Amino acid sequence: MNTRFLALELRRAMRNGRYLIFTVVVPSVMFLLFVSLYGGGEGTFPNGLPVTTSLMMNMALFGVMAGPLSIGARIAVERGLGWQRQLRLTPLTGSGYLFTKGALSMLVALPGILLVCVIGAVEGVRMDVPQWLGVLATLWLGAIPFVLLGIVIGLIASPDGMQAITGLASMVFGLLGGIWIPADVAPDWLATLMKALPTYWVKQLTQAPFVSGVDVEQALLVISLWVAGLSLIAVRRYRAQS
Amino acid sequence: MTETAVRAGAAVALSGLRKRFGEVQAVDGIDLVISPGEVVALLGPNGAGKSTTVDMVLGLSTPDGGRISVFGKAPREAVVAGQISAMLQSGALLDDATVAEAVGLIAALHRKPMPVAKALAQAGITDLADRRCTKLSGGQKQRVRFALALVCEPDLLVLDEPTVAMDVETRRAFWQQMRAYTDTGRTVLFATHYLDEAEEYADRVVLMRSGRIVADGSVAQVRAAVSGRTLRAVVPGALDLELPGVRSVEQRGDQITLTCTDSDAAVRALLARYPNAHDIEITALGLEEAFLTLTGEDNR
Repeated sequence: MNTRFLALELRRAMRNGRYLIFTVVVPSVMFLLFVSLYGGGEGTFPNGLPVTTSLMMNMALFGVMAGPLSIGARIAVERGLGWQRQLRLTPLTGSGYLFTKGALSMLVALPGILLVCVIGAVEGVRMDVPQWLGVLATLWLGAIPFVLLGIVIGLIASPDGMQAITGLASMVFGLLGGIWIPADVAPDWLATLMKALPTYWVKQLTQAPFVSGVDVEQALLVISLWVAGLSLIAVRRYRAQS
Repeated sequence: MTETAVRAGAAVALSGLRKRFGEVQAVDGIDLVISPGEVVALLGPNGAGKSTTVDMVLGLSTPDGGRISVFGKAPREAVVAGQISAMLQSGALLDDATVAEAVGLIAALHRKPMPVAKALAQAGITDLADRRCTKLSGGQKQRVRFALALVCEPDLLVLDEPTVAMDVETRRAFWQQMRAYTDTGRTVLFATHYLDEAEEYADRVVLMRSGRIVADGSVAQVRAAVSGRTLRAVVPGALDLELPGVRSVEQRGDQITLTCTDSDAAVRALLARYPNAHDIEITALGLEEAFLTLTGEDNR
C-alpha cells in the first residue's frame, strides 16, 4: 500500500465539508438529542444496558456506516470524472486502488466513533478502560462490512444515482439494522429481516460484554457472510470494468 | 539496420493493430514505428481512430489484434516504469482537490516523480497551485492535465487533442511550453485535427482516416503539398486538358477539377485556351487532399 497516496487521500476526504457534517457531527448531535429525549439518560433499558450507553453505541454505529458509505460514493464520482483513467496511467493497480479506498474508509470511520464516545463519557457513560477499548475496537472493526458496501456502491452506481443509492443503503442498514429502533419491539417477520443485516450484529457484539444472551458466534457468522459476499461482488464488478 | 532492430529501439512500435467497437472497425490494421526523440502528430478527422489508437498505446484498452510495444515493453509495463504518460482528452480532474493536490496524488503513485512544484512550473501553472480544479478555465485545466502527465518525467508523452478547449493565444502558449519540453529530447505523440498545429510543432505527420494510416511524412513534405491549390471550373467542350502548373486533372462532363502546383499559371493558360470557361474557383488544398497528393494514394 502506498502510504503517501493514502495520506493525501485522507487529507482530501477530511476537508470535505459534507463528510465532516454527516459522519462526524451528525452522529454526535443525534446522540445528544436522543439523550435529552430520554430525559438525560438516567434509566436503563430492559436488557440492563444504561440508556446513555446504549444510545452512544447506536449513534457511534450510525457514524461507522456513514463514513465508509460516503467514501464509497466518491468512487462513483471518480469513475464519472475520468479520474480513474488518469490513475490507470500510474503504477497503481486496480486492487491497490480498492485497498486504498478501503483503508481510507476505515480511517474516516474513526473520528465519528471517537467523538460520540468522548461525548458519551462526558454524558456519564461509565466503563473501565478495557471495556472502552473493547467497545471502540468492536465499533471500528464493525465498519468493515460497510466499507465493502461503500465500495460496491461506488463500483455500481452512476455519479448521479449514487446519492440516492447511498441514502437508501443507510436507510435500510440503519433503520432495519436496528440503530433507530430495537429489534425486540419489531414484529417477528421484521425482526427476522433485521437479524439478517450486519448492522444488527455489530450492535449485538458491541453490547455483548454488558448484556447477557448475545449469540457471538451467530454475530460473527452473519458479519463474515456479508464481508465475503460484498468482497466477491466488488472483485467481480471491478474486473468487469477494467 | 534491420526492421527488427529498428522496432527494438523504437519508442513506439505498432504492427497490425486492430480494434472494433460493435459494428465499427475503429482501428483497422495500423503499422507505425516512432523513434525516440521524434515529435509525431497523429492527424485526422473525428472518428478516424486517433483516440482509440492512443488508448491502446497507453494500455487503457486492449487491441483485438496486432502488437504494441513501447520502449520494447508492453504498454502497461511502460506505464509502471514511468516511461510513458499522457494528457487525456477530457475529464480526469478531481472536483474536490486543488491543483497542487491533484498533481501531488499522481506524483505519490509514481516511482521517480519530479517535485510537484517543478511540474507546476513546467506547465506554467505555479500561480494556480492552490486553486480548486473545478474553478479553472478550459485552457487552465489542460495545463493541469499537462502537469499530471509531466510529473513522472516520461520519455514518451502522449497528448490526445491537447488544445481542443483553448483559444488561439492559450494554444500558442501551451505549445511554447511543449517546445521547451520536446527540446530536451523527449518523444511526443499528439493527436490533433488542426493541420497548422501538426505543421508547426511536429517533425512528422501521420494521417489517419477510417481506422487506417493513409499518409505518413515529414513536415516539409506536408508543407510542400499544402502549398498547392485546387482549381475548379466549368469548361464547355474541354478535351484532354494539358495545362502548365497542373499536377492532375479530374473531369466530369464540363466540370473540371485541377490539382495545381502553380494555380496562377494554370488559370492564365486555361482562360487563354478556353475563353468561355466560367465559375472558376481556386482554393487551397484541404488537409486530406494535400495528403493524398503527397502520397499519390487515393482510396476513395
